[in-house]
Amino acid sequence: MISQIAKKEMLEMRRDGRFQVASAIVLGLLLVSLGIGWQQYVSVNRQHEMARAETREQWLSQGKKNPHSAAHYGVYAFKPKSPLSLVDRGADQYTGVAVWLEAHKQNEFKYKPARDANTLARFGDLTASSVLQLLVPLLIILMSFSSFAGERESGTLRLLLSMGIAREKLALGKALGVAGGLGMLLVPAALIGSAALVLASDSGSFVANLPRLGWMTASYLLYFAAFVGISLTVSALAKSARLALVCLLGFWIFNGLAAPRLFSDVSRTVHRTPSSFAFSQRMDGELKKGFDGEALKKKVMAQYGVTSMEALPVNFLGISLKAGEDHGNEVYDKLYSELWDTFEAQNRLQQQGGVVAPLMAMRSVSMGLSGTDFAQFRDFSVAAEKYRRVLNDAMNDDLKNSPKTEGPYMADEKLWSKVPEFAYVMPEVNVVLGQQAWSLGLLVLWALGATGMAGWAATRRLRAE
Amino acid sequence: MGSNTEAEGGMIGTVAKQEWRLLKADRTLAAVVVLMAAMVGYSLYNGSSWVAFQRQTLGAAETEQAERKGKLLKTLKGIEEGRIEVKGTQDPRSAASIGGNSSAPYLAMPPAPLATLAVGQSDLYPYYFKLNLRSKQAILANDEIENPTNLLAGRFDLAFVLVYLFPLVALALGYNLISSEREQGTLALAMSQPLTMREMVTGKIVLRGGLLLGLVVLFTFAGALLTGVDLGSSTVWLRLGLWVSLMALYTGFWFGLAVLVNSYQTSSATNALTLAGAWLGLVLVLPSVANLVATSMYPVPSRVEMVQAMRVAGKEAQSKGSMLLAKYMEDHPELMPAGEKPAADFTTLSYAVQMEVDKKVEPVLKRFDEQVEKQQAFVEGFKYLSPAILAQTAINDLAGTSLGRYQHFSRQVDGFFDAWKGYFLPKVFAKTKLGSGEVAGLPVYQFREETDGDILGRVGVVLAGMLVLSGAVLWVGYIRLRRVSIS
Repeated sequence: MISQIAKKEMLEMRRDGRFQVASAIVLGLLLVSLGIGWQQYVSVNRQHEMARAETREQWLSQGKKNPHSAAHYGVYAFKPKSPLSLVDRGADQYTGVAVWLEAHKQNEFKYKPARDANTLARFGDLTASSVLQLLVPLLIILMSFSSFAGERESGTLRLLLSMGIAREKLALGKALGVAGGLGMLLVPAALIGSAALVLASDSGSFVANLPRLGWMTASYLLYFAAFVGISLTVSALAKSARLALVCLLGFWIFNGLAAPRLFSDVSRTVHRTPSSFAFSQRMDGELKKGFDGEALKKKVMAQYGVTSMEALPVNFLGISLKAGEDHGNEVYDKLYSELWDTFEAQNRLQQQGGVVAPLMAMRSVSMGLSGTDFAQFRDFSVAAEKYRRVLNDAMNDDLKNSPKTEGPYMADEKLWSKVPEFAYVMPEVNVVLGQQAWSLGLLVLWALGATGMAGWAATRRLRAE
Repeated sequence: MGSNTEAEGGMIGTVAKQEWRLLKADRTLAAVVVLMAAMVGYSLYNGSSWVAFQRQTLGAAETEQAERKGKLLKTLKGIEEGRIEVKGTQDPRSAASIGGNSSAPYLAMPPAPLATLAVGQSDLYPYYFKLNLRSKQAILANDEIENPTNLLAGRFDLAFVLVYLFPLVALALGYNLISSEREQGTLALAMSQPLTMREMVTGKIVLRGGLLLGLVVLFTFAGALLTGVDLGSSTVWLRLGLWVSLMALYTGFWFGLAVLVNSYQTSSATNALTLAGAWLGLVLVLPSVANLVATSMYPVPSRVEMVQAMRVAGKEAQSKGSMLLAKYMEDHPELMPAGEKPAADFTTLSYAVQMEVDKKVEPVLKRFDEQVEKQQAFVEGFKYLSPAILAQTAINDLAGTSLGRYQHFSRQVDGFFDAWKGYFLPKVFAKTKLGSGEVAGLPVYQFREETDGDILGRVGVVLAGMLVLSGAVLWVGYIRLRRVSIS
């Protein structure tokens, strides 16, 4: 019986021209966006790989130099693109792509792709994630708003119930019908998406990304289940199909359009972001405080058991530069963690917005698993900064042990090659899942709550007319 | 003829009056008023707090600049009067120190008078730069700090309400213009009066559309007054006038679409679905598809490539730094410090290297800018496909948060930067020391606002495009109305 109802639902959908057109459009957009996402990933990734090799080569072949000059020359770190960014570009367009790692200074990431984009970009990116997060729910609403309300209006609901069909079975059949219709659309898209991912990544990284892909699929299914549940609930409770549609569209607009902006406003009000001006003024102030050079001299002389600077067995320049770096690092650590903690607090608040708008939770999970959210940008920034310190320490150490002769001291490739190449590994899926615990929990709650509600509404509150 | 139009006008008026009575009796009117007031009020509050943030930042920058310059002048006077002795390597009188730091001004673009209307691109592009004597890249990199997740979401500003949400309210008021009369069985009754279908529809959309437009205009003006928009200046009135015309045409488009859909004589529910689909297509899907097409056809070369090119140029220039300086001195013997060999101190050398790097990188940057411009030019054509893109473009222009105004600002920055370098760099190479008189007389940057003509030119084209779109939809809709049957 259940399967018969489901089949009838799917048959109706297939016969309905509007549904066919809508599905075809959604499927088309999904495939196009996956294709473009794949192409972008491949080209950006190739550029970054090349640039990474080049910057290393430049570092190694910089010739004879004083180590401190070499530290000033520095290297560039380029944020790698994660393979799953072909599904969700997340905040990638709004974070810089390159950072210069030089002496004395923790630089900001530069070159946000969004600043080079055309003016249409702010209308939103067409990515697989935006199709999945916005258009598929709309399609679900379209498929199910008249499930009960429509049958009631045409009088067939009374007929069905008078035949003695259990309401549970009717509800389950309707839900399965919607799920089946959705499956016809999503299964091919998922297969093509996975194929794109295989093409985009070498074998090793594909396997490494499988857990992320698995979790992502599961969370999208939860999101869709929530929408099926909500739509069936409203359809069962609403007086007319029209009213059901209006309510559902209202919720969709709130969820998809208003909520992201509202919660970003609220989070900004609760956790204030300093202005760039105030931030850099504070930074300059803290950096200017510097360290006590005389005290350092005394300390170093005591450490080496000498009474004059001339008697030091090491080159003081290296020690003093290192002390300068250490002071700077302390300041950077303090100020940047404060700033980034503010961003993360804002993002957490936005995740919690998932209580009223499931999109907020879904978006967060999707970006997190794609490796394109702020948390993973921060992870990369921290890794790059750590590398900058390794590089600077190596230079200053060498300087410290350099001979105190007259004339400039020069180091060469032997020293440059002692600094290991910068290698970055994306955080494990477990780390991401930990960051997304709130959102995942909310998605589960939405899916369970909404389907439960639908069951309750369809069995207890369904009126034949 | 005259009496005929009079009668027609009379009938339309009667329909409008009847509509008004119906709306008042219904809860719809109250709901629309509350909804629009809440959305417009909240979005204007949001816009004005962003404007206040920018003003505050610019104020702080100005204070810092004045303090810095005051301190410099005091030091210079002290040196001139012999009270202060110059010691150490850093001479506060040197051109490099004065032009690159101690008197370097902030070049700011203050928010335009109607900036509260739209955040536009203002959260993405810097609205002030601190000048130095280095490369332009170093200046441009200065962004406002913002959480990337927030940039992704965008802000709940008035432009968002007007472009995205306003059409939905319009469609909610217009989707059942004719279909509801038919479904309630009142259509035949109405048509038995001396009233044509067109008169009835006109009466309805004039009232519903006019009401909606009036509410938005009223709330926006009230909000503008509350958030301190200066209504005394003529440019504000020009912009507000253009904005009202834009909104009138935009309202016309969506009601026109409702008329068109109603002319197909489908049920209210089908109308609602069709109109929602049209909204989705025009407001959400079309702009992002257009963006996708533009970025695929004119891909912007990667910045990563540019970084590498700059680095290679830098490395080359560095390795022959002293040669570059010698060459520069050869070209400009008048700058040679009296009685000195070509100076090869660190500062002078680094400026010579910098100039060479700038020259080398220029073609790379140019290629980059050209490709961005090509993409943008391609997109410009697309905007006529969707009234939403047109509306967003025009509102940004009127609010002074469009890309156009940022480019206008950027050109001014370029000009001032070149003049600044032109003044200081020769002095750096000649090791000229500046006095307090010269510093006090340094040029001061003043942002030149876009002229009313600029605004009128850009927005006028958009208004014309919108007029064509709205006119076309209304025209086709009205032609089809003739064929609508009563039963």
